[in-house]
Amino acid sequence: MKTGFRIFLGAFVAFGLSWCGFVLGPILQLGTLGQTTVLNSSDIYPNQRPGDATLGLQVYRSSGCAACHTTQVGQHGVVCDVVLTGAGNNPAAVNKLISTLTLTNLTKDEADAISGQISTAGGKTETHIRPIGPDIERGWGMRHSVAEDFLWDNPVQLGSIRVGPDLANVGMRYDLNWQLLHLYAPQSKVQNSMMPSFRFLFNVQKIGATPSPDALQLPAGFGPPAGEEVVPSEDAKNLAAYLVSLRADVALHDAPFTTPSAHAAGTQKK
Amino acid sequence: MSDDLKNSSQTAEEQKGSTAPAWIFALTLLLLFAGGVYFDHHSGWFDAQVYAPYQSSDELEAYQPKSGAAAIFAEGKKMYTTTCATCHGDDGMGKPAQAPPLAGSEWVNASSFKRIEEIPQLGLGGELHVAGQDWNLQMAPMGAMLSDSDLAAVLTYIRHSWGNNASPVTDADIKAMRAAVAGHPIIGGEAGLKAIKE
Repeated sequence: MKTGFRIFLGAFVAFGLSWCGFVLGPILQLGTLGQTTVLNSSDIYPNQRPGDATLGLQVYRSSGCAACHTTQVGQHGVVCDVVLTGAGNNPAAVNKLISTLTLTNLTKDEADAISGQISTAGGKTETHIRPIGPDIERGWGMRHSVAEDFLWDNPVQLGSIRVGPDLANVGMRYDLNWQLLHLYAPQSKVQNSMMPSFRFLFNVQKIGATPSPDALQLPAGFGPPAGEEVVPSEDAKNLAAYLVSLRADVALHDAPFTTPSAHAAGTQKK
Repeated sequence: MSDDLKNSSQTAEEQKGSTAPAWIFALTLLLLFAGGVYFDHHSGWFDAQVYAPYQSSDELEAYQPKSGAAAIFAEGKKMYTTTCATCHGDDGMGKPAQAPPLAGSEWVNASSFKRIEEIPQLGLGGELHVAGQDWNLQMAPMGAMLSDSDLAAVLTYIRHSWGNNASPVTDADIKAMRAAVAGHPIIGGEAGLKAIKE
């Protein structure tokens, strides 16, 4: 009996500790996560996905998209660029100073030091924050994915294998029509794509008295036989709506960056 | 029988002596310490806001963009929403019979902003060709009551949003333009716009 109690205690502690680590810890850390404001603006992020996109998440899940696609962007680091926004009263001196300095790919400390040097010479600068990493170089996002991005998703479809590209920001790259065509005939949009066709989400039917307004305009070689049309089902439309709603393109407190538009706005052109 | 008893008590004694060796405890403590160091370096003390590559909330704070450009852009967006979006739409796509689109408009995206900056200042009325469509509407001088910096911000916002990518407009540009066009009448459609020197 004594041994039995010890085994119970050992098992209790072992399971209890892992429960604390895997359940209690994350709840304490992220359980109260809510909407937040976008940096330098009063916009709230994230907004709930539209109804069809919320339904589309379940189609994404049941179609097994997460087996080949991730929806999380990684970030290896962050660099600063110092941008001159005003030359001050002595432009020649500022320009001479700048020609001797490296202004891009700096750490925060280096950027602060260089900004200090330039402002001592009379110039005005701004420091732009730029996340870096392989995913960002591939154009899959502007920053790493953070917990807020998945606030409205249940279950979260993070995925772990990248047979296909990451989809965390696919809504920024393609529109609804592209997604529908790509779901029906992936190779019509991406040559040599190894993605299977999701034809079971579409109805291939005889053209009735009037063609369906939803029918896909497929390129030659991918279309249905003459006299038939390909019409997306509700599931296909919802899935495409979900894919289009995938965009995590705003700067947040836990994922800061300088928006490219603001970046360009800071670069004064004369 | 007595031998058995003796043997069993011996085994019990042996078992008592053979507790886990000391190096296991040392190794466990070392592993715990290494784990602690790892968390210390990678988790920002379990702060929900701190993710790798950021290692502490102080470091994250240092990287918050404090750029004036972002602030100008945000101000422009605010001004656009309150002043322009009613007719031109939040997405800049315009509205039929109300206002032509700004997104993709050749007038908005012109390399020089000399023409576009006068439209909110003076207003615009008459026939105008925008993004492949003919328009014939009246726009009041909606921007005339905005400050130099607000008008510059909203023009910068328009020229950088919804796929538009043209040069920004500064306060000084607006000031110069306002001094130059003081007293001018409303711009007369496409002909009037084209008469403005770029």
